[in-house]
Amino acid sequence: MRPAGLMVPIKYNLRSLRSRKVGSLMTIFGTGMVVWASVFAFGLHAGLKHTLDVAVHPLDVIVLRQGSTSETVSGVSEAAARDIVALPGIATNRDGKPLAAPELVVIAYLSRRSAPGKANVSVRGAIPLSRELREGMKIVQGRDFRPGVREAIVSRALSERFLGLGLGEEFVVQDSKFTVVGIFEAGGGAVESEIWTDQRVLGQATNRTGGMSSVQFRAASKDQQQRLIARIKADEQIALQAITEEQYFADQAEQGKLIKYIGNMIAIFLTIGAMFAVANTMYGAIASRAREIGTLRALGFGRFSILTSFLLESLVLCILGALLGCLGALALGEIRTGTMNGATFAEVVFSFNFGPEVLLRGAGLAIVMGLIGGFMPALRAVRMKVVDALREV
Amino acid sequence: MKYVPLILRNVSRNKIRSLFTGASIAVSLFLVVVLYSLLMVQDEMAAGAEQYNRVAVQNVQGLTGNLPIAYVDRIRKLSGVRSAIPMSWFGGRYSDEKTTFAQFGTDPRYTFDVYEDYKVPPEQLKAWQADRTGCIVGSLIAKNKGWKIGDKLPLKGDIYPVDLELTVRGIYDGPSSTDREMLWFHFDYLDEALKKKNSPMAGNAGIVMLRATSAGKIPELIEDIERAFASSDAPAKALTEKQFGQQFMEMAGNVRGFIRYTSIAVVVALLCVAANTMAMSIRERTREIALLKAIGFSRSTVLGLFLSESVLIGMLGGVVGAMSAKLLFELVDFSKAMTGMGWFYVPWSTTLAGVGLATAIGLISGIIPAWRAAQISVVDGLRRIA
Repeated sequence: MRPAGLMVPIKYNLRSLRSRKVGSLMTIFGTGMVVWASVFAFGLHAGLKHTLDVAVHPLDVIVLRQGSTSETVSGVSEAAARDIVALPGIATNRDGKPLAAPELVVIAYLSRRSAPGKANVSVRGAIPLSRELREGMKIVQGRDFRPGVREAIVSRALSERFLGLGLGEEFVVQDSKFTVVGIFEAGGGAVESEIWTDQRVLGQATNRTGGMSSVQFRAASKDQQQRLIARIKADEQIALQAITEEQYFADQAEQGKLIKYIGNMIAIFLTIGAMFAVANTMYGAIASRAREIGTLRALGFGRFSILTSFLLESLVLCILGALLGCLGALALGEIRTGTMNGATFAEVVFSFNFGPEVLLRGAGLAIVMGLIGGFMPALRAVRMKVVDALREV
Repeated sequence: MKYVPLILRNVSRNKIRSLFTGASIAVSLFLVVVLYSLLMVQDEMAAGAEQYNRVAVQNVQGLTGNLPIAYVDRIRKLSGVRSAIPMSWFGGRYSDEKTTFAQFGTDPRYTFDVYEDYKVPPEQLKAWQADRTGCIVGSLIAKNKGWKIGDKLPLKGDIYPVDLELTVRGIYDGPSSTDREMLWFHFDYLDEALKKKNSPMAGNAGIVMLRATSAGKIPELIEDIERAFASSDAPAKALTEKQFGQQFMEMAGNVRGFIRYTSIAVVVALLCVAANTMAMSIRERTREIALLKAIGFSRSTVLGLFLSESVLIGMLGGVVGAMSAKLLFELVDFSKAMTGMGWFYVPWSTTLAGVGLATAIGLISGIIPAWRAAQISVVDGLRRIA
């Protein structure tokens, strides 16, 4: 008579793990490191991706020169920009003005604060309406720039990373000095990698008067958006193209593919490596408990409940490891970093993203390790003959 | 040497365990070797760049700044300069590809003199020089994209408001330290197209790459160049090719640092795993160890036996992991899947370092368990059951 479905209490496994303290801890620590490294790699890519697609309004459209894939290399004449702003179908603000902004983006070549070398940084010449198109932006220190003078506001991330971008400091854009009068935050997004100043002032300083980089606008509706995009494309005279901002950033995110590949490669290889390690630990655990397993069987616990019991034990090991790894990643706090955006050639600043999705993926790896790594050893436990197992010393 | 059979027997007494430990070391070492190769190859290319006496001249505002095309002739006339070419990054899109690859407008007369380590058959070079819309491409990118001599190659302008209709006139080759994924075309072809459109972007050389007559002349030359253009509209900065390459690494930010951290994490994880296995396998053999000591084996011999065992497992895992990384990238060409990665390979130095690392992991992970084994007292050990 075998009490069908009677499960081995999980307490048994937990006690067993405790009685093999050093071995269990080593395995937990090992899987923890693996989860940590994977989460680190996932977080890097997720952070970059988050930066390139957060805070994009679905109705926003960007107009660039035909063929350009980024603002830094695009050019739109002032006349064409005026025509676009006047197009019907663009959303309006409370004052009834169309939500459209011709903007100028140039590159400043600045020195890093904490690392050697210089990097390109985007400087955006904006108009007051530009701000309404980016709702998340707010000044957290200092004040806004005044139109007509060489003043600028800088994202907090950039001000920490580059010389001359701190509040009250001065930086140079193509021979012209600008003063930083304010620091802003935008809750992530591409704006977090930009310096903002007055569009006309920037145009004069860089001899780009009369030419814009892009026009950004918000369509009144999805239908209008499609209509406006088609209309701008059809006008061969101006040779411009309009794409949704979602598409614009999705194209730029293609550049992050290498980071994604490397991250996935790290995770896959480490998981496989860890599976072997977990299997080893469990084999060891089962070999030294042959008599106990025999006793359990003799008491009437079924094969299935023994299998489940040992799988659970290996899962507990790995989940503890995952916990350790995820906590280790969270303990790193906010890591802000930057790399060159291959599409704009300018620095994109982003934070590692250790959000729930990234952590869950790390934990998922641990579960895979535990289940696959624990399966063969658990199977061995099940296959033991009761008599032999009991006889074992 | 007489202990070798004993060590081998010990390694193979629990085959599954040794296999799994070796496998987890192999898989992780594969990863570490590939990651480190990414760093090493970059360094190697930067170091290799020094021997060709090349200097890059760019706008002080960085790579996105302009240099007037007239600078090329002025630089060519400076003493200590053997030859100089413009290198104007076109950044066009080929067919419907989303990413671009290296396409440079240059002066075909001097390209292969400045880049003396890049080789092209003389008749192909002549054909390219003679065809204003001709281009010459690297052997790797030609292979991956299936380009042959005579193929038409349209490039859509991205940075520039013009499209190019190029014809492949030659394919260059070179050792693994060269970039064989570039495309070179006539600067004049691009410039005339821009002038026809009245584009303000005409006349921009991008950067100027020059070859100095000797390495000793370079410091002086850099000073001369910077002084010559200091008060012009486009002040220039001259960099050795090595510094020029470092600039890109700096722009890429601390990605290199992250690769390093990850590798360290992998190694630490491996140490735990391997030490754990060794500890398990020694715990099982307590009685045997006591017996060995009872029949006269000294502590140091016991220590040596167990250390050799873990070193052997570590080394075998390392050889399998590092060698498969080496062979994989030797036999399979991944540049097809990812343009711009054609420079990547696994150097022998990194492969060997990987094997060394795995051996060290075996050694370090064995120290504590082996030391504990050596301390086992004969009486206690013999009394103990499993």
